Amino acid sequence: MANLTRNPSTVAPFPSDAVIQVEKVCKAFQSPGRENLDALIDIELSIHAGEFITVVGPSGCGKSTLLRLIAGFSPCSSGRIVFQGEEVRGLNTKVGYVPQESKLFPWLTVEENVGFGLDSKQYSRADRERQVSQFIHLAGLAGFEKYYPAQLSGGMSKRASIVRALVYEPPVILMDEPFGPLDAQTRMVLQDELLKIWEKKRQTIIFVTHDLVEAVALADQVVVMTHRPGKIRDVVQVPMSRPRNIFEIHRQDGFDEAYGHLWNIFRHELSIGAH
Amino acid sequence: MGAMGVNLARVAIIGGFLLLWEIASGRWIEPFLVSSPSRIFFSLISGYRDGDLLQHTWVTFQEIAIGFPIGAISGIALGYAFGRSRLLAEIFEPIIIGLNGIPRTALAPLFIVWLGIGLWSKVGVVFLLTFFLNFFNTYTGMRQMDQEYVDLANLMGVKGWKLTLKVILPAISPYVFTGIRTSIPFAVIGAIVGEFVAATEGVGFFIRMSAGIFKTADVFVGIIVLMIMVIIMDRIAELIERRALRWQSQTEHIQIQA
Repeated sequence: MANLTRNPSTVAPFPSDAVIQVEKVCKAFQSPGRENLDALIDIELSIHAGEFITVVGPSGCGKSTLLRLIAGFSPCSSGRIVFQGEEVRGLNTKVGYVPQESKLFPWLTVEENVGFGLDSKQYSRADRERQVSQFIHLAGLAGFEKYYPAQLSGGMSKRASIVRALVYEPPVILMDEPFGPLDAQTRMVLQDELLKIWEKKRQTIIFVTHDLVEAVALADQVVVMTHRPGKIRDVVQVPMSRPRNIFEIHRQDGFDEAYGHLWNIFRHELSIGAH
Repeated sequence: MGAMGVNLARVAIIGGFLLLWEIASGRWIEPFLVSSPSRIFFSLISGYRDGDLLQHTWVTFQEIAIGFPIGAISGIALGYAFGRSRLLAEIFEPIIIGLNGIPRTALAPLFIVWLGIGLWSKVGVVFLLTFFLNFFNTYTGMRQMDQEYVDLANLMGVKGWKLTLKVILPAISPYVFTGIRTSIPFAVIGAIVGEFVAATEGVGFFIRMSAGIFKTADVFVGIIVLMIMVIIMDRIAELIERRALRWQSQTEHIQIQA
């Protein structure tokens, strides 16, 4: 059991191959008339290329805030985030971002949405078309190229939203509870598809969720966060082999161990909350 | 009731009203007060036949054709600029709201003083009435716009004029079109008010002159010409709107009072 977990403080401070290095990051929000609200305190995290990381924690624990800081949507209050050796200042255009709601541009077709991120990159027309059609196929959206987002189902918009972030092949993709509002079946299908795409492309993914099963099923490592103020409680390794079968994830070796470990942490958290 | 029935009911109501009007005129009400549909119709024909009415229509059309696009475009541009720049909005917002408190048609006489009794004073009033409606609608659109679209586009490396064209303008377009379409009747009001105050030609002038000599039929002719103008302009705007907003499953109109 001991080798499953890594205390954040025992993580080597500056591993050379880390894509993202989160160093002593705090984030406080100003609320008018009241004292500052601490969303994140002393976050230390290093993420390596090609890893699938999930961040799990109760709502309001600052998981999404952490993603927004890595994307550079807002600045850290203190500490810093180093991305591929450079400190993040302002928007981090090297990450792809999949928001909670699909947020497809409603005035663009599926095809135009998926290709949106390619326009500002150096792609020839032919490359662009090939890339878009490849990812549309990957997402199972072939035949829906000319549809507008208003005409898609929830699952389809989700898929389009995910490949929109994947298509221009950013080294890191941030996902903010992308499967949150979906029904259980669609959710599993999409988890399965996401893993398949990821196994092909091996981009680094940081995936925020509040669902423990999802967190374990997808990840190499699960970052466990605690309730306000947001702190990293633990980083749990998931020793399951890949490729994984999402639909029978409970039966795979290593699932119970990792899940049980997470649940222990949260049970502890809950009892603290109750008293 | 099917679509056919609805249309039939419509025709019946309008036809019935016109018939009642025709019968009442000269029997129960003095014709010089209300004229009658047949008199109005013949006045319309003869008005256009001797070219007089055509000239008046052309003058009013010019006033609107110049004042309306300038007012709409500058209103949209300023609304956009205020939405993009917090500083600009902070400085000018209270001033604009203050100016909006002025009943704008009351400024028409001033425009006559400044720009003379010709075309340009009316263009000024049309501009004024069009500008504010477009400004307020566009500015509201900018404030209601989901900032996450802009963030996402920025993150994907899209910025500058590309961001404006591909993200911001489409995002606010429902508001922009609401501004344009609500301002169409006001543009016509602007032209007519200008012509009422002082003019030598135009439909407004024609209406006022006809009323002054109790040619009631001609007054109604003027009103009908204006009504047709507004309907045609609105139809054109609606067509463009439908094409531009075909991505919306249903065009929802957001009504903003200004």
